[in-house]
Amino acid sequence: MNSAEREAWYRYQHEKYGIPVEHLRREFEEELSGKNSMDAPLEIPDKMEVVFKYSYGGQSRFFRELRENKALYGAECPECGKVFCPPRSHCHTCYQPTQWKKLVGTGTIEACTVQHYTTSSFIKKVPFVCAYVKLDGTDSLLMTNMEVDDVAKVKVGTKVKAVYRELRLGAITDVYFKPLD
Amino acid sequence: MRDVAIVGIGTTKFKSRWLDKTYYELAFDAAKMAFEDAGIDKDRVDSAVYGIYNDFFQRQYQPDAFVHDYLGLGLKPMVRVNSGGATGGAALRIGYQEVASGLQDVCLVLGVEKCADTYNYELQMATPEVLRAILYTADMTYDNPAGRTAASGFALAVVAHRDKYGNPTEEQMAKVSVKNHFNATKNPIAQSPKVLTVQDVLDSRMIVEPFKFYDNCLYTEGASAVILASKKVAESISDNPVWISGLGASVDYVMPGNRPNIYTFESSRLAAKKAYEMAGITNPVEELDLAELHDAFTGTEIMAYEDCFFCEEGRGGDLIDDGTVLPEGRLPVNLSGGLIGCGHAVGATGIMQTYEVCKHLRGEAGERQRPNARKGLVQSIGGTLCTWSICLVLER
Ligand SMILES: [Zn+2]
Repeated sequence: MNSAEREAWYRYQHEKYGIPVEHLRREFEEELSGKNSMDAPLEIPDKMEVVFKYSYGGQSRFFRELRENKALYGAECPECGKVFCPPRSHCHTCYQPTQWKKLVGTGTIEACTVQHYTTSSFIKKVPFVCAYVKLDGTDSLLMTNMEVDDVAKVKVGTKVKAVYRELRLGAITDVYFKPLD
Repeated sequence: MRDVAIVGIGTTKFKSRWLDKTYYELAFDAAKMAFEDAGIDKDRVDSAVYGIYNDFFQRQYQPDAFVHDYLGLGLKPMVRVNSGGATGGAALRIGYQEVASGLQDVCLVLGVEKCADTYNYELQMATPEVLRAILYTADMTYDNPAGRTAASGFALAVVAHRDKYGNPTEEQMAKVSVKNHFNATKNPIAQSPKVLTVQDVLDSRMIVEPFKFYDNCLYTEGASAVILASKKVAESISDNPVWISGLGASVDYVMPGNRPNIYTFESSRLAAKKAYEMAGITNPVEELDLAELHDAFTGTEIMAYEDCFFCEEGRGGDLIDDGTVLPEGRLPVNLSGGLIGCGHAVGATGIMQTYEVCKHLRGEAGERQRPNARKGLVQSIGGTLCTWSICLVLER
C-alpha cells in the first residue's frame, strides 16, 4: 500500500474501532508498507460489540431506589428470614418470593485484597481495594471496589458506609463504600 | 457403567502466542497427534467433546462448530463444554460419560484456547484486554462493574485462608513458584521454564495482594487432546491404555456470598472425595504417585493440597516446606510445571494435565519421569473462587 492508501486505512479503522491513528500506525505501518512476506501471519484490528437496553427484571426496584432515593435494599425471604444483597427475587433455599427490605447502608469488610494490576477497563485506577462487604442486616456478600486514599486502611473487619455518587446511572456503581470513621 | 480408557494423547506446545495458527488450526494439530498416538483414523471416532472457554478469546461464538468442521468430523455428534478454568476437566467428564454410558465407543476430547489475539493498543500488550474478556464471566450486574479479576477472586480466598490458618505464607507460595517454574525446565511443551530463587519470587512486582508476578500463571495458547475408548476397543487397539478409575465433580455457588465461607473450596473437596471413593483410594499421599493440581496461583496450589486431602485442612503450607510435593517427594505435584510453569491455555489446561499424567503412567515422561508411576490425580478447577471442580484418578 502507498502512503495515501495507508492513511485511508488508518482513518477507516480509527472510525470503526475508536483506536487512535498513532496506535494503529505503531502496530501496522510495517505490515502495510509491505515489509512482511506474503506468507507471514497477518493481523488486523477487530472488536466484538453488542448494544443493550437491558432489563433488571425482578431486581429493578433495587436499582431504581439506588438511582432515585440513594437507598440500598436487600431482599428478605419470608420463610427462612435470610436477607440477600445482591438482591434476588426468590430464596434459593425455600423457593419463596422475597420481599424488599431497606438497609441502613453500613457494613463490614469480610474479605479484601489490593489490586495493582487489572483489566483494560480499570487499569488507570490501580491500586484499588477489591472487597466483599457484608451489609448490616444482610446474610450475603456484595463485591465492591473501595475508594480510599490509602489502600492500607481497608482490612477484614473494617466498618464501612455507603456513599452515593452525584451522577447515578441505575447501576451498582452508583454506590461505593468508605471506611466509617 | 463401562470402563473407560485413554488410548491416545496429543498436545501442542503451550506458548504465549501462536501467531501462525488460529484456534481451529491449533485444535487440528492436537487432534492429529492424538489420532496418531492411538493409531486410529479420525473416522474411528464416534463423537467429540470440545473444551473451549472464552468466546472473546477465539473471536467467535460457538467456536466448537468450526473446530468440528476443521477436524473433518462432520455428521458425528459433538458438544462444547465451558466451565471456566475447569473447562478441560469438565470436557473429560462429558467424554467419560459418552463412553461409560455405552452411547459411544470412541470419543475425542479436545481442549483449545487462543487468548492473546485480544490487544490493548494503548498499552501495547494483550493481558489487560485478556482480563477484560474474562471479566464478562463475572456477574455482569454486581461483580463485573467492580473490576474484580480472576486473580483477585482467588486472592480473596487465599487471604481468608491465611487469616484463619496462618498459611500459605509468602515464602511458602514463593517455594511453589520456584518448584513449578523449575519443573517446567524439564517439560518440552512448557511456556515458562525458569530457574528462580525464593527471593526472585518475593521481589517480583505485586499483582494482586498477596500474589506477586511469579505467583501467577500466565495466559497461554495451545491445544490438547485425548482419545477415550471403551474397554473392548481399548484392548483391541492399544497396548498402553490408561484407565480413568475415579471421577468426581462438584459445582459451588458462583456468588460467594451464598457459601458458608470463602477460606476453603468445598467443591474441590467434594470432587476429590468422590473421585477417591470411585477409585478406592483411602490415603492419597501413599496411593498416588503424582498429581497435577490446578495452580493458577501458588496460593491456590497450597489450598489444593488440603482440598485433595493430602493433609488436614489448614496445613497445606507444610507440604511445600517438608518437601512432600517436590519432584523427589512422596507425592510430587505438577511435574509438568503446572499452570505456572507449563501455562494455562484455559480450555486445554485440564487435558494437558491429563496428558502429563498419562505420559508418566506410560513411562514416557523423559527427564521428569516419576519412576514406576501407576496412579495419578488430575485436579481441574475454575470460575469465581473455584466454582467448578473436577478430579480424575488415572491408572495404568
Ligand atoms: Zn428462604
